[in-house]
This record gives sequence, C-alpha cells and structure tokens, in this order.
Amino acid sequence: MSRRIFITGYGIITSIGNNADENYQSLINRKCGFGGLEILDTIHKQDLPACEIKLSDDQLCEIAGVSLKQGYTRTTLLGIIAAKEAMRMASLTPAEIRTAGLLSATTTGGIRELERHYYPLQDPFQHGDFEVFTDTANPGEHSERMAEEFGMKRYIATVSTACSSSANTIMLGARLIRNGELETAICGGTEALSKFTINGFNSLMILDKEHCRPFDISRKGLNLGEGGAYLVLQSEDMVQRSGKTPLAELTGYGNTNDAFHQTASSPDGAGAFLAMNMALNTASLVASEISYINTHGTATENNDLSEGLAIQKLFGDRVPPFSSTKPYTGHTLAAAGSIEAVFSILAIRHAVIFPNINFNIPMDELSITPEKELIEGRPLKNVLSNSFGFGGNVSSLLFSAV
Amino acid sequence: MNNTNYYINGLGIVSPQRTFDNNRFLQEIVSYHANVLSAIAPDFKEYINPIQLRRLSRMLRIGLTAAIICIRDSGIAKPDGIITGTGYGFLNDTAKFVSEMLAQEEQHVTPTFFMQGTYNALSGLVALTLKCNGYNNTYVNKGFSFETSLHDAMMQLNEGNLKNFLVGAYDEADEVQYKVNSRINHYKKHHINSLELFEHNTDGSLQGETAAFFSISKEKGQECWCIVKGVRMVFRPYSLAELEQELDDFLLKNKTATGDIDLLINGVSGDPHNDHFLIELKQKFFQQASEVRFKHLCGEFCTASSFGLWLGASILKKQQIPSAVQFNLVSSPRPIKNALLVNQYMGRNYSFILLNKNV
Amino acid sequence: MENNTQTVEELIPQVKVGIIKQLNIEITPEALDENTALFGEGLGLDSIDALELIVMIDRDYGIKIGDPKEARKVFQSVRIMAEYIQENRKK
Repeated sequence: MSRRIFITGYGIITSIGNNADENYQSLINRKCGFGGLEILDTIHKQDLPACEIKLSDDQLCEIAGVSLKQGYTRTTLLGIIAAKEAMRMASLTPAEIRTAGLLSATTTGGIRELERHYYPLQDPFQHGDFEVFTDTANPGEHSERMAEEFGMKRYIATVSTACSSSANTIMLGARLIRNGELETAICGGTEALSKFTINGFNSLMILDKEHCRPFDISRKGLNLGEGGAYLVLQSEDMVQRSGKTPLAELTGYGNTNDAFHQTASSPDGAGAFLAMNMALNTASLVASEISYINTHGTATENNDLSEGLAIQKLFGDRVPPFSSTKPYTGHTLAAAGSIEAVFSILAIRHAVIFPNINFNIPMDELSITPEKELIEGRPLKNVLSNSFGFGGNVSSLLFSAV
Repeated sequence: MNNTNYYINGLGIVSPQRTFDNNRFLQEIVSYHANVLSAIAPDFKEYINPIQLRRLSRMLRIGLTAAIICIRDSGIAKPDGIITGTGYGFLNDTAKFVSEMLAQEEQHVTPTFFMQGTYNALSGLVALTLKCNGYNNTYVNKGFSFETSLHDAMMQLNEGNLKNFLVGAYDEADEVQYKVNSRINHYKKHHINSLELFEHNTDGSLQGETAAFFSISKEKGQECWCIVKGVRMVFRPYSLAELEQELDDFLLKNKTATGDIDLLINGVSGDPHNDHFLIELKQKFFQQASEVRFKHLCGEFCTASSFGLWLGASILKKQQIPSAVQFNLVSSPRPIKNALLVNQYMGRNYSFILLNKNV
Repeated sequence: MENNTQTVEELIPQVKVGIIKQLNIEITPEALDENTALFGEGLGLDSIDALELIVMIDRDYGIKIGDPKEARKVFQSVRIMAEYIQENRKK
C-alpha cells in the first residue's frame, strides 16, 4: 500500500503555450493569456474576455495529428495534444501505453459542439457535417476517444467534480497504482471554452470583466480559460525496471467535501483545511516542510477568502510562499487541477516560484500575501496544489522533488 | 484486494418500478409503451425538507431520495465517503440552460439550471444534506460510471482508512439524449410494450432512468444484503474471445469457476446488435445458472448496472427470483450463493460484478 | 411606457407574482406578505435566489444591478423591491 508514485512525464496546452516549455517561458515572463475572444462565437467576445487558445479546431487537429472533421470535440483535441506530449516526455513504450490507464476529467466535454449544433442534432430529418458530433456532449466521450486514439483500453475513467476534477484523476491514478491495478496511469483533464460556461458563470455573477486579481482586496471574480494537461504516473517498480529518471513524486493527496453550499465555499474554508491536512498526512509531512503552495486562487471574493483562511489555519504564522497562476491561464475548470499540477512540477524542476500577477493590496481579512514577483533559484522540496469546486468538492495534491 | 468481502449494508433505489420500498420486491410490475421508462418516486416530502425541495430539479430529488432511503436502511447517518456515477448527469437541466441561452441570445440567463446541471451536483447535495466532509467524487464515464464508483470505494476500503462508503448511480431519461441518440439507433424505432423488450429482434433499446445508492463496507452490517467480491470493466473487446479471457481472469482472481455461478444477472439491452456477446457468454458458460434480465423493467441507461446490482442483492438476500425477471430457470434449482452481473452499454462498455450471498 | 406610472401599491402584487414564478415557490401571492423579509428568517431565500431576482428585475423592468451585495439591500422585502423598481425602472 505504501508504493511510491512517480511522475515521469507531463504535457500541457493553455492560452499561454502549446507545450510545457512554452508555458514555462510565459510563466517566468509574466505573459498572460487574457483577452477578447476570437475563436469562440459568442456575443460576449469583448465584454467578457477570457484566456482563450488562439487556434481554430482545424489547427488543433493538425497539432494533435488527427484527421479533420472526424467529430473530435475541442475538449478532446486539447486532451490529445497534452496527453501525447506527456507520453512522449515519459518515453512510454507501445506496451506501456497499451497497459496504461487513462483517467481524464472534464466538466463540459462536448457542450461547445452541442450548443453549436443544438437544434439540427435533435432533428432527425436534418443531415450534414454536424452529425459527426452526435453523442459527443457526453462527458465520458472525450476519454474514450482519447483512449481509442492512443490504443489504450486497460482502464478508462472520467471524473467530473467541477473545478477540482482533474486533481481527482491524479488521486485515482495513484490509488490504482497503489492497489496494484495499474503500473502506469495517464491522468489529467481537458476543457474547452463554451458559451455554456461563459453564460453560466456570468449568471452567477462571478466573472470579472477585467483581468482577475487573486488575493487582492479589489478582486471581483474569475476569468475563464481553456486548456488540457496530463501527467504520467508510474509505479516505483516500473520506474526502476525501465531505468527512467522520475521528474517528481506524488507524495500526498486529500479529497474532502466542504458540505457548506451548492456553489459557495464555507467562510472559514473547513473543507480546504481538511484536504490540505490530509495531503500532508498521506505524505507523512508536517506543515513546515511545505515549500510553496499553488493555490486555487480564482479571484472570486468567496474562494480567496475561504482558501486564505484555511491556509492561515493550517500553517499558522509559518505560511509558505504561495501564489495563484489563474491570471495566466484563467480558470480552466476541470483542467485546472492538472494544469496547476504541471506548474507545481515545473516550479520544483526549475527552482522557481511563479508570481501572483495583479496582486497589489492585501485583503483586510487575511494577514498573508501572495508572492508578487518571480522568485528564482529557490529549491523547492514539497509543493501543495489546491483545486476546489462547486458541490463542495475540495482536493489538494502534494508533489515532492526527487 | 482479492478475496476481500465488501458488504452491501443498505440500499435505496428509485426506478421505473416501485422499488423505493425495500420491504417489497417486484410484487407488481409496471409496463411502458412509448419506449421511455420513467422513475416512480415516493412522496419527496417524506425524505427532503420543503425548503431544500424547492430548488431541486426532479432528478436531484429522485437522487437525494434514493440516498436517504439507503442511509435509513444501513443506519449509517454519515458515511466516510460519497461517490456517484452517471452517464449523462443532469442533461435535462443543462439542456434547459442551453435552450434559454440560445433562445435569449445569451441575455437574461438565470443560474439555477447551470448550477444544477453539474455532474457532481448530487454527490455535493448528499454531502451537504448529511453534513459529510469526507471523500467525495463523481465518475462520468458512460457505461463504466457506476462500476468505477464502486471500484474506487472498494480500493479505499481495502486501504483501510475509511470504513464505509455511499456509492450511487443516477441517470435521467432525458429528451435531448433521446432525440440525439435516436440518430444512432440507440432506441427502438417503433413503440413496444417494455415487458416484451426481449421478444423484438430489432435494433435499439428503451430509454430508462434510475437513481440507486448502496452503503458498502468491509464490515458486515445488520441488514446486509449481499457481498461484492469484485468488479471488472472491459472496454470495447475486439472479439468474444477477448471478453471470455477477461471473464476467466476476473473469476480466477476471485477464486470462482464459471460452474460456481448460480445466478446470472444479464444486462442485455434488447438490441441484438449489442447483446450477442452476453448471450453467447450465457450459452457457453452459464447453462447451470438461473438467468435473470432487468432492462425491460428499468430501460437502458449508462448506469443500468446499478439496477442489476440492486436486483442481484435483493435475490441473494431474499433467496427468491421474481417471475418478472426470470429468463430461464435451471431444472434443478439450488440455493443462490454466487451471482454474476454481466452488463454492456452500447456494445462498448462491458462489465462484470461478482456477488456472494451473505453468510 | 405607461407602466412607468404604476404606483408602489400597484407594483406590489405584480412583484409578488414575479418572485413566486421566478423562484418556483409553492405559495399563493396572497400568502406572501409585502413586509416579510425575503432572505434569512422570513421567506428563507438564499444567494442563488438573489441572482435569479437580479435577472428578473433586469428583464422585466430594465434595472441592472451589478453587485449581488447591493441586490440584497433592494430585495429586503416585496415592498422595498416595489419602491426600488418604481424609482429606477427603465421600462
């Protein structure tokens, strides 16, 4: 049960880069993906800017190496691109890929295509190009499509716990490896922007029309984003057998429910505290051993207060450096957990702490402030990555240097 | 994790049959004639307080009711973890939101349907209602959604930190799904009597819905229904041989032979195009077993195996096979000790769940 | 535009019907007292109801409220809502 879990590869595509290197360069150069929408067709292109990947679906097909017009949803394409990079980085053999599990997360799946072809899809007398999107609105569809693309069938699962989704795929991957069900698990999440999410979050009045400002007193809400990110998790045995050098270790994880409100976090961050604490416990670490926290930090009034108080409660007067990277990528919902897991590993590998863009004035309720500037040359041993979602779902992952 | 007993210590199910009363067992059967089977719910007010009830959609009400029936049955008011599985989630609410958004050209859109449409809305609602801060997750992988939920719970029970889980499944007979999936012949073209599902040799199945919750633990409860031994999922087997090999491997790992199976709970959907592997498995390996089928009672949906598990648990506990589910009875009936649930969804997601009678 | 001349007393029953319909509340308009607190003790509405009501007064009266916290002041009771609508309506 105490088998160690190593990360041997990762891949990522977001509005700040099509792969891990590009994302890293943007992170250290304060380059954010926020701006008007150009690809998604919505009346909110200008008034509700977001962090959009400026590539058409056809361009994404090309990067993903798949044929055009075959019914790959944008969510699936982002997933294929990121997962392929992760598998390449891990130098997985065809046999390893075949026997790996694919654990993927999304909150909307193919909703973007459903909303685009909503009426024709429901009219049996209409025929046309839209028919390739029959039944792609199902959230599990993207995982099956990705698995088929990679020739994987050993274990396929899809998680949807709102904005904590992909963190939970990483936990499931670890669990499947520790229970001896798998040696290799490709874990992560993918999410395309859609009118559905933009209008949904807008109706909840938690979108900021300006660039979001996590942990700042003037924060007014989140910016949405899109992207995909996957990690290759492998068992200790597998890593030893293949002679690979692991990139990081997944040492801890915690999943709890805040049980406070359908969409809001509890004011004191009870669930967040429990999840972070559980991550520490599974890793047998104490709070003072944490070197950096990549927070959920969506910049909603509610999240940052709740998360900030939970951090203060757990770490007392020794709160480690923390920052939110949401101003870079926007809130990518189901993909946020794995995107920020990749950022956490990048931080460990490059010994850096990424700045919390747009932070200026501390919140009255908190005594802690995020890192405003890039910190370089700071060896990081253990990094916590938080992901919280609607429905009270709260997850925390702990990555450690190897 | 092999040879571990996972006890089902309570359950609650709201389905197109009157299954919400655990003291009754398919005594009267409801038939449907328009290819859609709808859940028969009890009076929600007996399970959900009126303030909470107001803003809950139909499926959230049904789901929460099933969870509360299960909680009352198991006597465990606060489980250590809650896991749900669903194929299409609250597509009905999502569709309401999308329709409103499109019709109003993205103006004056209200949040309630958006909020209720998230796949984890039920697991969150159950946690909120039970004040359960424990592990919480939702799987949404078509015909594997419920199986993955069950498997996750079993692995965590095996790890030993958590003692009992509430594992649920829900899917709604949604109109958008019906219309879209009719394009791929997922549903029968002509209306049939649902009880005659297996007599029509035509493409497609019937649309169904159910919410089912199970309380599962490594410790046997007083009201234990049955034991789950194992679960296995098989994605798109290329051939019957591949499925057979998976079945062999699964049974071997659980130290069970095909001849030990007394009851086969067959998740055939009435679509000959997708059913043939399961029918061949039955003929090849389970001639000695009694066969029951269930999708004529609950319809087809991604998490229909949850209805199958309820059926298996009930037969094992009550040692009685209702005539409405009997497909063939073996000539010399024997005590029902080992039951195997085999299921398929769209001919892509196959699963096996092995059950034992509680001893 | 003639609606703009509606008095608060005339608006009250209209607002009651609007709230009950928008929020799917199972009571009659008569049973909803115009002075009862809508949130907290009283009718027991919550933050999501507030968002629904913000959409309602924008759609029906052309009043835009950008901040949910401000909305809670407006939505104290049916009477206060009616007074606010009467003063601020654009249609």
